[in-house]
Amino acid sequence: MTDLPAGRRRAMLRTSLWLSLLALPAVAFFLVFSYAPMAGLVVAFKEFDISRGIFGSPWNGLDNFRYFFSSGDAQRILVNTLLLNVLFLAATLAAGVTLAIMLNELRGRYFKRVAQSTIFFPYFVSPVVIAIMLQVLLSGPAGSGGAVNDALSGFGLPTVSWYTEPGPWPWILTVVKVWQMGGYMSVIFLAAITSIPEDVYEAGQIDGASRAQMALRITLPLLKPTAAVLLVLGVGRIFYGDFGTIYAIIGDNGTLFPTTDVIDTYVFRSLRQIGDFGTTAAIGLFQSVVGFVLVATALLIQRRYSKETSLL
Amino acid sequence: MTTALTSSLAKTTARTATRRRRRPEAFTVVSVIGVTCFMLICLVPFWMIVSGSFTDEQTLATSGYSLIPRPFSTTSYELIFTGPTVLSAYTASIFITVVGTAMALAFTSGLSWVIARRLPYVSRPLAVFAYIPMLFTGGLVPLYLLVTQYLKLQNSYFAVILPLLVAPFLVFIQVSAFRQLPEEILDSARVDGAGEMQIFFRIGLPLSKPILAVIGLFYAVHYWNEWFTALLFMSDVHKYPLPLLLQNLISNVSFSQMLPTAAEQSTPVYQLRLALTVVTIGPILLAYPFAQRYFVKGITLGATKG
Repeated sequence: MTDLPAGRRRAMLRTSLWLSLLALPAVAFFLVFSYAPMAGLVVAFKEFDISRGIFGSPWNGLDNFRYFFSSGDAQRILVNTLLLNVLFLAATLAAGVTLAIMLNELRGRYFKRVAQSTIFFPYFVSPVVIAIMLQVLLSGPAGSGGAVNDALSGFGLPTVSWYTEPGPWPWILTVVKVWQMGGYMSVIFLAAITSIPEDVYEAGQIDGASRAQMALRITLPLLKPTAAVLLVLGVGRIFYGDFGTIYAIIGDNGTLFPTTDVIDTYVFRSLRQIGDFGTTAAIGLFQSVVGFVLVATALLIQRRYSKETSLL
Repeated sequence: MTTALTSSLAKTTARTATRRRRRPEAFTVVSVIGVTCFMLICLVPFWMIVSGSFTDEQTLATSGYSLIPRPFSTTSYELIFTGPTVLSAYTASIFITVVGTAMALAFTSGLSWVIARRLPYVSRPLAVFAYIPMLFTGGLVPLYLLVTQYLKLQNSYFAVILPLLVAPFLVFIQVSAFRQLPEEILDSARVDGAGEMQIFFRIGLPLSKPILAVIGLFYAVHYWNEWFTALLFMSDVHKYPLPLLLQNLISNVSFSQMLPTAAEQSTPVYQLRLALTVVTIGPILLAYPFAQRYFVKGITLGATKG
């Protein structure tokens, strides 16, 4: 660095540029893998021909969109995507709050830590592994049976052939989601609980509140801001299906599509099996645009709601 | 793991019982029971898989899965570790995880440092630049065309590594961690004549080891579990990473051609599937007790600081 006062600004600018080299690899990454694909979305308006490339293919206006919305699949996958995400969001938030409040009641420090680590672990389990676990629970090696059915017949109840029954799957997937995300959510809520000042509880104790009353009347209302942030962000992402988990579990099992097929799995299948790039890109663009509007709205609402926890 | 857990559980509940004997509030008891139940729900599926992987295929078919493997059989593990497919999948997964995490950590740290330093004309635009991909993505088709048609990375491990290299969310966690470094330390280094690059490598990074551990662990778990990009871009069975191999086992029951050793005999497909699952989650399970506190720190930081 130079010490000349007149050259100070220039020196600072030079330092800035020199230091910016550190960001160069990441910038290159974003340009190639995030921004270039955005430009590639023009495929949605083209009759894609692989030999002529993205930019050489002829335009076909809105044909791709028209094809998708008139195919009859559109309504089903949009409804499924919204419905499943609402279920997931409500269930994981409820489970997270409940678990956090319960964890907060635990006094033994070691038990608390072990409990927290244990319920947090499913978050790190690959969707493929979850799919295998579900198979163990819902269908045995012979294609029928499984632990759940064994339990059902133990109680004298009729068994269910789960993998051919589309009806219960939204609920099964919700249970899976709670199993997977419950611990993660509870850690976030527990962090919020620890930041509640101690004197609020002391005041409650002096007034003779029981622990249950303190949890319901003090902790729960004070968790509202955190829940609101997570809710708003979740609503913002409501248009994106959880591809990994759903595809790993359902795969190409067509009998379950009526209740489990979401935008992401549909897009993936039409790309892999049909190779229809134009229509698939059109669905992707539709999803990105609606998703963007939702996320942006959600962020604006959230920014207004609580400045200090703003994500931007 | 479960025995250690239950014994410690018994110990701590005993200790809390003696301490709070005067007022055993109903709500606390309910909470202990509730948390314990959820812990069991989290653990039982793992145990069923471990137990099933040691159960003879014949028994699995006739009497289903059970909690205790009887008769005890290690056939599936012998098959796994003698056949080349699983070993090559392990190599693939390790390569993807190690190289991917190292690259991701380097890229993310560099970018985060520049944003965290609040340089005029540079930091803010860069932050926005990294933020936009969180809001809007090109989707699957352009990415697919990019990797297969333009970069020609089919069947390369880098097809799995590159598309996930920098996660904007982790960039922002790291930026807020870097900003917590006391400015005085950096200033004193400057007084001692250190250049800006030197400050990053000799002071910024070493002082940020805990957050580097958090970010690195998130990337590592992500890469270890990654199968979606592999499913898209890998067609050569010998280059499959573990999760994709496992996924293939689910959808494709006639898996025997992948295991040359068991060609003539009937392969214990179900037992094998469970054993492969154990092999896949094994490393995470082993590393978890050591890494767990970092994860908790990481998401707490992400949740409160954004």
